[in-house]
Amino acid sequence: MISVEVGTELPPLTVTLRRDDLVRYAGASGDFNPIHWSDRMAAALGLPGVIAHGMLTMASAVRVVTDWLDDPADLVEYGVRFTKPVVVPDDDKGVTVTFSAKVDKLTDGRAEIDITAIAGEEKVLGRARAVVRIP
Amino acid sequence: MTIDATMVGRSYAAAESYQVGREKIREFADAIGDPNPAYRGVDAVAPPTFAFMVGSLALEQLLNDEELGLRLDRIVHGAQKFSYTRPIKAGDDIAATATITTVRKAGDVEVIMYETALTTVDGDPIATSTSTISHNRADA
Repeated sequence: MISVEVGTELPPLTVTLRRDDLVRYAGASGDFNPIHWSDRMAAALGLPGVIAHGMLTMASAVRVVTDWLDDPADLVEYGVRFTKPVVVPDDDKGVTVTFSAKVDKLTDGRAEIDITAIAGEEKVLGRARAVVRIP
Repeated sequence: MTIDATMVGRSYAAAESYQVGREKIREFADAIGDPNPAYRGVDAVAPPTFAFMVGSLALEQLLNDEELGLRLDRIVHGAQKFSYTRPIKAGDDIAATATITTVRKAGDVEVIMYETALTTVDGDPIATSTSTISHNRADA
């Protein structure tokens, strides 16, 4: 980390999620809610299709911040709102989500960072914000 | 029964502590597609959202409270926040306790906030997780 100012943009990150990524996350996290692997169950709940675990999107989004930090242990706060479901089609292409982030505020040794998550044309997270310790 | 504001303050401790293993951290980091070396090896720390998985053991107990009348398949995760005292690391033995902090009703939908404290089994703080969930009771 060389210099941090209000307005500093962190290197963006693009992640592709396919059905097998959801199966893998379900297994690793223990979240086997069928809306993350069954089209039938997703449709029964009125969803447009199988959707990614919100916690998987949240995990991907914070990588923009932890990739930028020397030490991920400098993350002190992290929060998001799940505003739009991330639909993951049953094909080889999957869905692409792009994360970007910008320093919004600097206060006594801490930086507050706003994160933006876009899938297709839509923002899928709201008020995504991380607070990190900075040297 | 159904959940209401009189149930704010109820607390649910996970049935057992969670023993964090370095291979579980690696598996989780692989599953979120994160190659960060901090999440691997003998000194591995866990990715930030690993805390949710540990906390879900306390959520399980909350959902088991029949007086609340909540069903997992009617719940949508609306918002999530973490505050970290320190990262979770391999070798930690973690106690999780979830406390209901807010209950708001709007028709068939109940918006519930709960806070999950993650501590060592000796009570030293590690992280706090604040979750907002919506439970839809329509046709229930």
